[in-house]
Amino acid sequence: MNLTSKPLAIIVLVVMLGGISFSSLMGWWQTETTKEPATFTEGEFAGMANPADIRGSYTLGDITNSFNIDPQILTQAFGIVTDNPAAFAVKDLEAIYLDSGFEVGTASVRLFVAYYNGLPFDTTGQEIYMPQSATDILLARGNLSTEQLAYLEAFTVNLGEAAVPAVETPVTESTPAAAETPSAVSEEYVIKGKTIFGDLILWGVSQETIEGIIGTPMPDPAMKIKDYATANGLDFETLKPALQAEVDKVIP
Amino acid sequence: MVTLFNKRIRLFRPRSIWIRRVVQWLFFLLIAAIAVNHSLAESGAAIPFLSGASLHAVCPFGGVETLYTFASSGLLVKKIHDSSLVLAAIVLILSVLFGPVFCGWVCPLGTVQEWVGKLGKKFFKRRYNHFVPGKLDSVLRYARYGILVWVLYVTATSGTLIFESYDPYFALFNFWSTEVAPSALIVLGVTLLLSVFVERPWCKYACPYGAVLGVTNLFRVFSIKRAESTCKADGACSIMCPMNIEVDSVKTVRNHQCISCLECTSEAICPVAKTVVFTTGSVK
Repeated sequence: MNLTSKPLAIIVLVVMLGGISFSSLMGWWQTETTKEPATFTEGEFAGMANPADIRGSYTLGDITNSFNIDPQILTQAFGIVTDNPAAFAVKDLEAIYLDSGFEVGTASVRLFVAYYNGLPFDTTGQEIYMPQSATDILLARGNLSTEQLAYLEAFTVNLGEAAVPAVETPVTESTPAAAETPSAVSEEYVIKGKTIFGDLILWGVSQETIEGIIGTPMPDPAMKIKDYATANGLDFETLKPALQAEVDKVIP
Repeated sequence: MVTLFNKRIRLFRPRSIWIRRVVQWLFFLLIAAIAVNHSLAESGAAIPFLSGASLHAVCPFGGVETLYTFASSGLLVKKIHDSSLVLAAIVLILSVLFGPVFCGWVCPLGTVQEWVGKLGKKFFKRRYNHFVPGKLDSVLRYARYGILVWVLYVTATSGTLIFESYDPYFALFNFWSTEVAPSALIVLGVTLLLSVFVERPWCKYACPYGAVLGVTNLFRVFSIKRAESTCKADGACSIMCPMNIEVDSVKTVRNHQCISCLECTSEAICPVAKTVVFTTGSVK
């Protein structure tokens, strides 16, 4: 069978335009999505998606598309148990924490996304609560500023296992175990036997500073400093003043 | 038709496949209109009856770029929409049947390169499209596969359209927008400049989508075939080929660079009827 240019032109047009029409009829032809947040318009983050524009109608998949955060991290952060993380709508988060006494919802997701990706987020005048599991993940990232750490310290809530469903699978090795969560609500910035490395990070001591003192890469943020000293043959009473001095430097 | 030396020769024949130019113009205007309307839509002044889709939404290569992400997570790479997958499927069907007709008949970037190439033809006459030394040219022809692998890798690992920053097609239809990276504008500029010397330089040496579609030349249903029994061996088909394929030295064109433009056929440059044809059957 031979084909000349005119029939080929017709075939190309019919297949291209007909294919588009057919897919339109079938509902496959989607050329836009409304699930893309607005972007920063100025500054060093210009052009990047703005977490402040995350809507309750967004799914975790939408957040993944815009901010490149794995849905599994979001489910772990907010204690979401679902077979299809990508399809979980942010607005459904509030229902999980309904009985907790704290409002953990879309604003919490916005804050988490901003801090996780190191993006600016204005918390002025806002009381945005963050589950301990989410704070743990952010601490493990180690990219928070002193102000961000202070904000998390003020608004991190440990809701307990009753309020938050168990997480099925851990995402990162550095995520603290559920039983050993940072005692982030401590009002005293004094290193004690129960103080963990996560507390130091939360108080504003940088990971580099900690590692400079202990002489090794920082262990799991949920590990007690005293346990670390014992396990590594160090004297806790010698280590404590050195770390405390750094805490005193960053605490006004 | 007249018969000379036992060969049927067309005395008055078209010099090119004019209908292809019409189709190219049509798709160029369509994509340009959509791109402009997309910009208008962002300022709330979109033309109502025209699609305001983004350029990414009407680019089939987006469907290829997002394949890994789509297969592994069910999600699309940011800025890619379902329409890209639909277009990729449509173009794949066309390519399996007819080879990379998308490149030769539809792609507006290919069209623009051809338009610029007309200048080169005027300036350089027969030298046009023969500047690159043969050995270097034959090696460079495979560069687009390397670029394809790189694009797929960085898209899969980053989850974003890294290639957008180098994509001359995106730059061509968004040059007025702040969305275009300077690097993409540079690539577009270089492509257009090279088009004065080489026909379709982007298609030949760099286009990752051309690399994908080019593979279908190896097994497509309709192929360019040359009847050796009636061939005058005047080399006209090879000279006319924009992709420098030596059509006069093969019976069936399986070259991975063929764009199914039909310019080499007896309908266009070949002076002997039914000698270079686009067919499913065999020729003698």
